[in-house]
Formats: sequence, C-alpha cells, structure tokens
Amino acid sequence: MPPLADPAIAIRESVVVTRLDHVHLLRFRGDDARTAIDTLCAGMVRARDGQLQHVLLLDEAAHCFADAYLVADDEEYDLLVEGPTADALHAHLARHLPSGSDVQIEDRTMTHALLGLDGPYAWELVSRVAGAEAIGLPYLTFFHADDWTCYRAGKTGEFGYGLIVPRDARDALETLLLEKGEPLGVARGTLDALDQCALENFFFNVRREGREPVTPIELQLQWRVSYDKDAVGLEALRRHRATPVATRLTSLIADRTVTVGAEVHLDGEVVGRVVNAGWSATRGDCVALALLDVRWAHPGIETFTVWHGASAVPARSLTPPLLNNRSLFVSPQLHAYATRAEIAMPPLARQ
Amino acid sequence: MTSALEARIDHREAVLARIRMVLIESLGVRRTPDEIDPDTALFGSGLGLDSIDAVELVVQLDTDFNVQLPNDVFGRAEMRTVNGLVDLVLAAQAAEIADATAR
Repeated sequence: MPPLADPAIAIRESVVVTRLDHVHLLRFRGDDARTAIDTLCAGMVRARDGQLQHVLLLDEAAHCFADAYLVADDEEYDLLVEGPTADALHAHLARHLPSGSDVQIEDRTMTHALLGLDGPYAWELVSRVAGAEAIGLPYLTFFHADDWTCYRAGKTGEFGYGLIVPRDARDALETLLLEKGEPLGVARGTLDALDQCALENFFFNVRREGREPVTPIELQLQWRVSYDKDAVGLEALRRHRATPVATRLTSLIADRTVTVGAEVHLDGEVVGRVVNAGWSATRGDCVALALLDVRWAHPGIETFTVWHGASAVPARSLTPPLLNNRSLFVSPQLHAYATRAEIAMPPLARQ
Repeated sequence: MTSALEARIDHREAVLARIRMVLIESLGVRRTPDEIDPDTALFGSGLGLDSIDAVELVVQLDTDFNVQLPNDVFGRAEMRTVNGLVDLVLAAQAAEIADATAR
C-alpha cells in the first residue's frame, strides 16, 4: 500500500512518523531537581514515577515561554520543551533556577532524538516495533526498552507516542517504522501537519498562538496553572487576574482561507483578531483561532466576518474539537487497521 | 449587536456558569469558577475527571437543568469539554421546547 500523500490526513486516518527536532530534551538530576522543576512550571507538579505531565513555563510577564512534557523517571526528571530557542531556554534556566541548589541539567538534545507517532493506528505501529507492552500503555505514561524510551501523549486528538532514542540510532529506527508501517498506510509526518491537527483539536501551540503577548487566562490554559504556588510568572499572572480579562481564544471556521492578523468583525464592529489559521484538508474548510472580545468568545455565533485583504470572509464559531477523532472509536484490543472498514464511526468533521 | 444574539449569549453564559458550579460542587473540581475555561478538556489531563465522574455529571446535568441528555451522550465529542456540555444542555432545552410546542 503506498503511503498516504497528505500527512495531515494520514494523522486522521492511519499513522505518521515525524522527526520532532524542534523539541529540546533536558534532564534534571540532583536532590533539588523537583524543586527546580516546581520553580519553572506554572502548575502544580503532580507527575509520579513513570508518569508524564503537560506543563507550562511562563516568563516574568506571565506570557507563555514554553510548552513541555514533564517526565518523572525514578529520581530524575526530563523536560521535553517546545517553544524557545536553545539559547533562550538556557538563559531562562540560568536566570530562574535557585542559586546553590543541588540540581544538574543535562541537555540531551545533541545526543538523543525524538520521533513522534500519531494517528488512530499509531498504537499498532508502535507495538510492531516496541512489542505488545505498548498497546496497553496508559495515556501520559512511559516505559524503557533497550536504549530508548516510549511514552504515550500527543497533541492531535489521535493516539500519540514519542520515542526518545540515541541520536545515532534515530535514522535506523525511523526506517524500521516506515517499513513496518507500510501495511498500515504510514506517511512521513511534518511539523506543519502536526500543527494543523493541533489547531483542529484546540491543542495549545506555543509556536503560534503561544507567541501572542497574552497570558494563560486568554489562552484558556488555566488548567495548567496554579494560583496557590510560587513559580516564574505567577506573580504577574495573579495581578493580571485581578483585572477584567478582555479577550479569549475561540475556534472559528470559514469556507475560505483566513490569515493570521486578520480582524474579526461582528455586526460591523471589530471584536477580535486571528492568531492561528490553517486550511483543514480533513474538514475541507479553514480552521482558525481568534482572540475575541470575551462577550463574543462563545461557540455558536454564525455571523462573524474575517477580513482577508479587501475581501470579507464569513466565519462562525464552533466548540472544539472540530472533528470526531477516529482514535475515540478505535480500540487496540478489538480493532486493526486492516479491518478498519468494520468500525462504525460518525462523520469525521463536526458541524 | 442584535438583541436576539445578545439574549442567546446571555443564556449561554448562564448555562456555562451553572455547569461550572456543578463541576465544583458535585464533581469536586478544585478550581474557582473563573479558573474553569470553557474549552478545557473534562477528562485526562484537563480537569482530570474519569469515567465514573462522567456518569455523575450527566445525572447532575439532567437534574439541574431538568432535561434529558441523549442516551448516546457518552460517545459524543460534546462530552470532551465544558463548552461541549453547554452545547448538550442547550440542545436538550431546545428539543424540549420543540416537543412542548408540537404537543
């Protein structure tokens, strides 16, 4: 079976293998490692040994600095960090880690690589390489196998796995995955395809809407924040919270392309601005995120207009996720890619 | 803005506010109402609810809003977020009004 051409569609229908070279791999060791992590992360650190946790790193102004997975591995912690450059990340660590604390940070990005597997049949592919143990792997947990680590997470709404491998073994593993995945319709993934799928499922993207000068309140990320602890950015966030919040991130769809920066109008008034957008090959329309005046930041409004150059594009707000993700209907215990036609599923696009 | 749209948003915000209180008072979500963002995931890493909570949640929404959520609600995408619950309640309310009008 030839690989599916469009990786964004393959993420929704089969499985993709993607090099996640944009992710920094940091390992924290030492008696104060957990304290150091706690200082950096805006939310309560709850991950126990063997678990992952979505964490958010803020800057001093309470803007999003990085999006990360925290991996609790025995007495050590890995941070898989997206967003900043390597220089900015290390400067942030140097500025905010308590001096004199017993913590050693190893940047493993140059020695290790990360491969992502995403799609409703990602579990089937990972089990062909990592063994049956991978099939029952609970969400946000991991296991070690030989010299690599397999974790289950993902930001597409589909089954998602990450494989952390020594960098010199990455190419061979990738080739193996593509070979083993051929009967599963595997495609080589791209960061753009992952970003598009994250957009369709309202997963936070620190490289897109996360670059806006707003806080987790506007971005609907308060579930990753605790107001009851001290960490970088939380003092500013508490101050911000005490004032009325003006905007909130909201999902829009439009029949034609809209672009980042475009104004959103309602009944002739400007009510917001597009901060992330992309054409959804899966849905057949344009999916966007806009920071809208909180009064109008609700789904179910059919009469927005987004200005694209000189033309007005009708748009409407919709509750995410914008898809009936196939992974919700695929059971690793019951199903397989080869017999996928037997699985009863609703239409992929939600209206 | 039209008064019809204003009224619809007012009603939606009232339903959202009540659902936030259900999550806090009946499901034990340890957040204040303003910390529960509308598009937050209910399960997994979002608000951290589980499948048992889901049953309790549906029962509580039926009672609180005096509606009957659909029997197949647990398999629906609407059950994934707070705003999805608002959509479900609004649809159930609209269906009941339509039924009453037809009778």
